Amino acid sequence: MLRCIDYPSCFHRSLCEINTSDDGEELTKLKLTAWSMDRNVETFTFMQLCLCLQGADDHTILKWNLVNNETTSLVKLPDDVFPTDMHWFPKAATGGGKKTGSDLFCLTSTDGKFHLIGKTGRVEKSVEAHKGAVLSGRWSYDGSALLTAGEDGQVKVWSRSGMLRSTLTQNSTSVYGVAWGPDSDQVLFTNGRQLVIKSLQANAKPTMWKGHEGVILQVDWNPVNNLILSGGEDCRYKVWDTYSRLMYSSSAHDYPITSVAWTPDGELFAIGSFNTLRLCDKTGWSYALEKPNTGSVFKLSWSSDGTQVAGACGNGQVLIGHILERRLEWSNFEATVTESKKIVVRNVLNETYDKLDFRDRVIKASLAFSHLVVATSSQCYIYSTKNFNTPMIFDLKEGNVSLIKQAEKHFLLVDVAGVYVYTYDGRLVCSPKYPGLRADILNSQTVCISNDTVAIRDKADEKVVYVFDALSGKPLGDGKPITHKLEVMEVALDHCGPAAERRLAIIDKNRDLYLTSVRVFGTDRKTVKLGTMIMSLAWNDATNMLAALADGKFTVWYYPSAVYVDKDLLPKTVFEKEASEFGKNPQLLQFVGNHVVIRRAEGSLVSTSISPYPAILHSYVQSGRWDDAVRLCRFVKDEMLWACLASMSAYAKELNTAEIAYAAIQEADKVQFILNIKDIPVKDARNAEMALLCGNPQDAEAILLQAGLTFRAILLNVQLYNWDRALELAVKHKTHVDTVLGYRQRYMEQYGKKESNKRFLQYKEGIEIDWEKIEAKIEMEYQKERERPERTPAPASSGGAPRSGGTGGAPKYPVRT
Amino acid sequence: MADEALSRAGLHFDELNKIRVLEPEVQSQTSELKEECKDFVDKIGDFQKIVGTFIEVVDNVSKEVEKEKMKAIGSRNLLKSIAKQREAQQQQLQALIAERKMQLERLRIQYENLQKEESEQNEFIEQFILQK
Repeated sequence: MLRCIDYPSCFHRSLCEINTSDDGEELTKLKLTAWSMDRNVETFTFMQLCLCLQGADDHTILKWNLVNNETTSLVKLPDDVFPTDMHWFPKAATGGGKKTGSDLFCLTSTDGKFHLIGKTGRVEKSVEAHKGAVLSGRWSYDGSALLTAGEDGQVKVWSRSGMLRSTLTQNSTSVYGVAWGPDSDQVLFTNGRQLVIKSLQANAKPTMWKGHEGVILQVDWNPVNNLILSGGEDCRYKVWDTYSRLMYSSSAHDYPITSVAWTPDGELFAIGSFNTLRLCDKTGWSYALEKPNTGSVFKLSWSSDGTQVAGACGNGQVLIGHILERRLEWSNFEATVTESKKIVVRNVLNETYDKLDFRDRVIKASLAFSHLVVATSSQCYIYSTKNFNTPMIFDLKEGNVSLIKQAEKHFLLVDVAGVYVYTYDGRLVCSPKYPGLRADILNSQTVCISNDTVAIRDKADEKVVYVFDALSGKPLGDGKPITHKLEVMEVALDHCGPAAERRLAIIDKNRDLYLTSVRVFGTDRKTVKLGTMIMSLAWNDATNMLAALADGKFTVWYYPSAVYVDKDLLPKTVFEKEASEFGKNPQLLQFVGNHVVIRRAEGSLVSTSISPYPAILHSYVQSGRWDDAVRLCRFVKDEMLWACLASMSAYAKELNTAEIAYAAIQEADKVQFILNIKDIPVKDARNAEMALLCGNPQDAEAILLQAGLTFRAILLNVQLYNWDRALELAVKHKTHVDTVLGYRQRYMEQYGKKESNKRFLQYKEGIEIDWEKIEAKIEMEYQKERERPERTPAPASSGGAPRSGGTGGAPKYPVRT
Repeated sequence: MADEALSRAGLHFDELNKIRVLEPEVQSQTSELKEECKDFVDKIGDFQKIVGTFIEVVDNVSKEVEKEKMKAIGSRNLLKSIAKQREAQQQQLQALIAERKMQLERLRIQYENLQKEESEQNEFIEQFILQK
């Protein structure tokens, strides 16, 4: 019977694997079957099983090289040692360096000991750990501690050298499974039917909950998605979050679940039972089921690239499964990993097939933005969808690419050691870094890329998002990361438009959606809340539309930037639809063109389309074809589209279009305001007024002051009843103090109040308010403006709304009397 | 007279005038008995031979019977276990079928959805053409 198995994480790009067995059989090999599973947009997968009957004498540990199928006996244990569990020292903890003595594994045995055994098979240390058998032994992710659990009900933490640090708990029943938390500061263990999370800190109160109806046999805790997996004698497997909320519970199987294991990237997990191996998505539904005749699968272990799983079987066999049939879809292309070293790309339009062969195993593949990026265990291949014959190839430093994210101009590779941006020519652009970056636990929710920006959510402080320039790899702006007020769960960058207008969508712990600008110059970062209860989101690939699934609704923000232009317009630019047809807890996968792909909770892919007009409108606006945009809106006659156009044109300060668009959505006040703006002779003043229209008085004032239009800046503050600021400006520039005082006096009189502001009282003393003089001065200012050399008249209106009688640059401020 | 005297002394003469201790009559009976005994012994010998072969045959038969019996038991057990095996196989296949059914259901949903989307898009195209 085989009890334990583990992929060594510490061997550089090696595929060897170790297992122990305590009965003997002939060594043979046979291929078993194909597994089917499917995943992502991307519907991936079949799994091919190679089954190796493991031959060994009692008490030996065998080391296999899966590349050349060599088997070597690593160590022969004494007759009374029956191994129960083994775990390789984590690779990440060695820092990629070649520290001596780091290549070892721990082996627990029935005689109550654990053994630290080196790569060569030398038993470096044997430690008496528990009374009765030691049932499980796990290294922490940083390699600083070892956790053991025994039949005596104790859970103990040991130092790297095998010294007892603490005994975490004393249960009345055997502890069958243990797992480390993502930061190696928490521990999960089983207690009969209960699951317990306990912090390593003394006196911390453990979280305890009933997990199963039967004894829980194995647990696993993924550091990337922070989900907990448990399997027990009640023949079910369950997925939990760390707050003990049940995310998924399987139906009852025929036999107890004897083993569970997450893939390193946390996207999938495998379940072992009697004659059963199942591959599931992280949301719980099953990709594939396999029924090999192997007896119970006692232990499962994934290779560090997450493409192979090895199982220790009850009849002494080792079972190795490959994930196959991973399918990616983009536009009219469909790429399928048909064998472990082969990808077939199908062009749906003309039914042509391209077969791509690789030297090594395909680990990750990504298809988007007209490029297929394939990472094998040693190289990266980049294909253009126009030509699948000549890929760009470059070598990878580390074999284990854990994530590929694509943007239009370049793509992002994540491996254990870091994050890299490559162009589609295979040239390394940069490698964004920040202190404390842990690339091994990045997933597609916590890292994103667009043409000019890379954003990474920090792990140590989950409120922090680091943003980098994608071309230089340097932190953006002043180097300070974006700090949100709550823990950030998901980040996404939009793909289009100029770099200065890059927007980052953030979903926080409360599942609220925020939009923030990435590049800020001088001013504060403006973060605006767009929605609540957002379950998942996706930016469009070609336009800056944002789709989200929230609280039973499918929502598309046709122009999310409207929130920066005219908040009142935002609700009018949002398309909403009942999401009941997508079932419970659907996931948004892709938003390409006007096509949205959604995965339902039970795994089926459904798609829906949105109106094609907003995308067309976006493209017109982007290329500055405002007349065409207006014509389109007139053709479609949709208020939503008009609202989009209104905010787009207001943002672009395209007054004529804005006037038409606002008129079409019956915002008379704004039309009036725009007409007034048009009559202002000075461009900067017009811009300032537009900023006012967008509700940014600070911006407006800054624009005016920068252009030297002090008078307008003062008047602006007067209009906003921002008296202190108005007076401050007037005094600072030594002009129009009397104007400010005059307006202030009028205001006070109007409301029958007495002046109480000390500064006003102080300045009032020396100044006589003479309205005739003030008005003359104001008229002079306007006269001066009209005579300014850079005077540019507003472009002629293209018709539409009737013009109100302009008085040649006279102020349109409603002068309060 | 002499005969009488001799017979008293236990001596007799047979018809060949040989001197005998036994009376001729007894003598003839004795030899008769001897003959008969010999016959008997012969017959018994024959019988034993016959019985021997019979036993041998019966033994063989019994061995055969025993063998067949074991075979029968074996196949009966096999039959029973095959039923169980079939059950297990059936269970496995059932599980696989359930899995496939789930996949089918997923694909069906996807297909229906795509059909719906296609009809929506066709509708849109028609409307678009009409508007022109």
